[in-house]
Amino acid sequence: MDLVLQLLATGLVVGSLYALCAIGWGLIYGTTLHFHVAHGAVFALAAYYAYVAQKLLHLPLILAVLVAILGAAASGLLIDLLLYQQLERRGAFRTSIFIASLGLLILLENVIAIVFTPDPMRMDIGALNTAVIIGPVFLTYLHILTVVLALVGYAALMVFLKRSRWGQAIRAVSSAPEMARTVGIDLDRVHLLTYAVGSALAAPAGILVAMDVGAEPFRGTRFVLLASVGVIMGGIGSIPGAMLGGVFLGLLENLGIWKLPSEWQSAISFGVFLVFIVLRPRGFFGRTIHGAEI
Amino acid sequence: MAAYIAHYLVMVGIYTILATSLNLLVGYSGIFSLAHAAIYGIGAYASALAALKLGLGFWGGLVVAAMVGALAAALVAIPSLRVAGDYYIVASFGLQVVILTVFINWTSFTNGHAGLPGIPRPYVLGLVIDDPFKYVVLSLALAALTYLICLRLTGSAFGRTLRAVREDEIAAAATGKNVVAVKITITTISSALGALAGSLYAHYITYINPTSFTLDESIFITSLVILGGTERLAGPFVGALILLAVPEALKFLAIPDTVAAPMRQILYGALLILFMFVRPEGILGRPRPRSVA
Amino acid sequence: MTVQGVSKAFGGIQAVEGCTFEVAPRLITGLIGPNGAGKTTVFNLITGFLRADGGSIRFKGEELLGLAPHEVEARGVVRTFQHLRLWGKMTVLENVLLGCRTPLGESVVSLFLRPGRVREEEAAARRRGLEVLEFFGLAGRAHELAEDLAYPEQKLLSMARIFATDAEVLLLDEPTSGLDTDSLGRIVPMVRRLVEHGKTVLLIEHNMELIAQLSDEVVFLHQGRVMARGRAEQITRDPTLTEIYFGA
Repeated sequence: MDLVLQLLATGLVVGSLYALCAIGWGLIYGTTLHFHVAHGAVFALAAYYAYVAQKLLHLPLILAVLVAILGAAASGLLIDLLLYQQLERRGAFRTSIFIASLGLLILLENVIAIVFTPDPMRMDIGALNTAVIIGPVFLTYLHILTVVLALVGYAALMVFLKRSRWGQAIRAVSSAPEMARTVGIDLDRVHLLTYAVGSALAAPAGILVAMDVGAEPFRGTRFVLLASVGVIMGGIGSIPGAMLGGVFLGLLENLGIWKLPSEWQSAISFGVFLVFIVLRPRGFFGRTIHGAEI
Repeated sequence: MAAYIAHYLVMVGIYTILATSLNLLVGYSGIFSLAHAAIYGIGAYASALAALKLGLGFWGGLVVAAMVGALAAALVAIPSLRVAGDYYIVASFGLQVVILTVFINWTSFTNGHAGLPGIPRPYVLGLVIDDPFKYVVLSLALAALTYLICLRLTGSAFGRTLRAVREDEIAAAATGKNVVAVKITITTISSALGALAGSLYAHYITYINPTSFTLDESIFITSLVILGGTERLAGPFVGALILLAVPEALKFLAIPDTVAAPMRQILYGALLILFMFVRPEGILGRPRPRSVA
Repeated sequence: MTVQGVSKAFGGIQAVEGCTFEVAPRLITGLIGPNGAGKTTVFNLITGFLRADGGSIRFKGEELLGLAPHEVEARGVVRTFQHLRLWGKMTVLENVLLGCRTPLGESVVSLFLRPGRVREEEAAARRRGLEVLEFFGLAGRAHELAEDLAYPEQKLLSMARIFATDAEVLLLDEPTSGLDTDSLGRIVPMVRRLVEHGKTVLLIEHNMELIAQLSDEVVFLHQGRVMARGRAEQITRDPTLTEIYFGA
């Protein structure tokens, strides 16, 4: 029983990380329909921005994190501006955008690997490393912060989308791009904003992981794919769904270890994913992905 | 030196089969799969195990490989293609991850990281193929066969339907095409052929282990397809010729190993991006047709 | 074809409700109504692109509701699209060939095991394809890319494509929209000829005059409900309906 509780707790923490990646990725995918695997590179970059800010520029931790989040937002925005929008101007198919995104992911990850080596780069997190013991469950302040940040990030995003004018513009483009265009919304600008916001949400996830186990160049690939699984399970176009999907995946992976050897973790997640799309392709809350207007 | 070139040509043959079969999916049908290395691996392991545990020869192994590869792909394709193409990207990634996990962890079957040594050489009409030169013939012959199969497929009404589905699947459905069935069919065929390449590889190197079938490998195969051109069937062959020569060229520059591997990946990544800009159809592809006027 | 009590809601909006009308064989039935009345939605419902919430759509004794678009086509009902959706990167002939019946050529098993029959089938399909193009006056353009055609010809091609399927019921979604008077002269007679050829046509059209000219029967849709059905002259002269049409 103790083990189950521990696994649940760890699952919640990991799930929070996946959820942050998922809501960011889901926002981008739902609005631009780009299968932005390079989100994984932004995730990784965020960690390294924080690392460099703290270790090389000697900024205090909080400032380093803020710099990293801004850096990530800028990175995501630039990826759209310099890559995707340029390709779209040349009439690229969606598959071409995905291939370019994949190429960018590989390129960035490996550049990081050459510059920083593939070994994990550890950061100083001081007090956050302190253990917290709740009954049989062992966590650190960092882990608790992770869950809190995921909730904060989610709430912030929902408020932004519902209340602010830009948020509403994003929602308009997300549900009916052609109509949004006719009422005068600049799609390109909204896309850039979406990328900035979505990437800013991935940043804390990347940074938190780096603070826990060190920054690694290749971790992003796994996170972005799991994020996309979470989004699909939660329902494309639904931020609450993505949140739920991410948390669900985290719990699933960790509870899976209870009965099955840990090497099979990913296999479990993907297996569940396949079953899920057979039984409920729309996901928890999604709109029908029939997509195109007829 | 001659043996070295022979080895290069054998690998070109194997990768041509891999890239041609992936091209059927990515280039011709617009379905993106990240699992081709896993399929390659399934073919290799299936064929190797058929030989080692069941005593089947190379040809029997080929058949087993193709069937198992097709089955694995169908299992993933059927649920995910019914819904939307993007689901297949994620599902194929999942397949890649799961299959690799199986290779590494199902040790009783696959020997895990230690791999499977001692895979027997093929026999063709009583002649054992045991040196690189003979293997070049076998490899290129199978590559040619794959090419002919794909030629037949793409030049037919089926091929026409594939192109229509790729360009506008809603119009295809309205015109009476069973889009999902078509997609599942091509995915299965593509995988059967990819698995075939695995079988060829296993009996050539006579030793296989999981490191040959990772996600990086899937990306490499994708680069071959993109570089060579997605609309021309001979494209993957050219892509293989060029990209397989690159690691050798890098060796000449005396780059330390730790940097060489990521450098290659950077090259492939850059290639993918570059080609999406310059020519989404690749080197040999048909250029976007301009107005006849 | 009978459409009975069909309804469809999206989110909170009832797009179509209690829609009931008949499409008489070998006639042109016009489906008209102000913008947003649900006309294209009805097309989508009939052809399986949308699943109706309730009701029934019957053709030749079979229920079409719940079928996938390709299954609806197999039962003999096809549609064009307002935005054409031609395969621009393929030739005019290929666009039509995709409408022709080529089951053997599309079966992988037959491709490899019965190459002779496949060859015959393809040759027959080509002949038929060219005939269809002749019928629509596009034969001279057979090997050009569909995207290179002038707009009126593209409209004709979209009709040619579904004509080639041999389906009995042709749903035409705004076949004359975006055309100038000269081009109208090419399309309008074509629609008549379709019926002369034995087809049944249901067409969505905005131009009241054309409706009066072309249709034998008219169904007036407003806010997703059938407001009126009857002979074209009746409907187009009804003042209440005209007000709704222009007022909405």
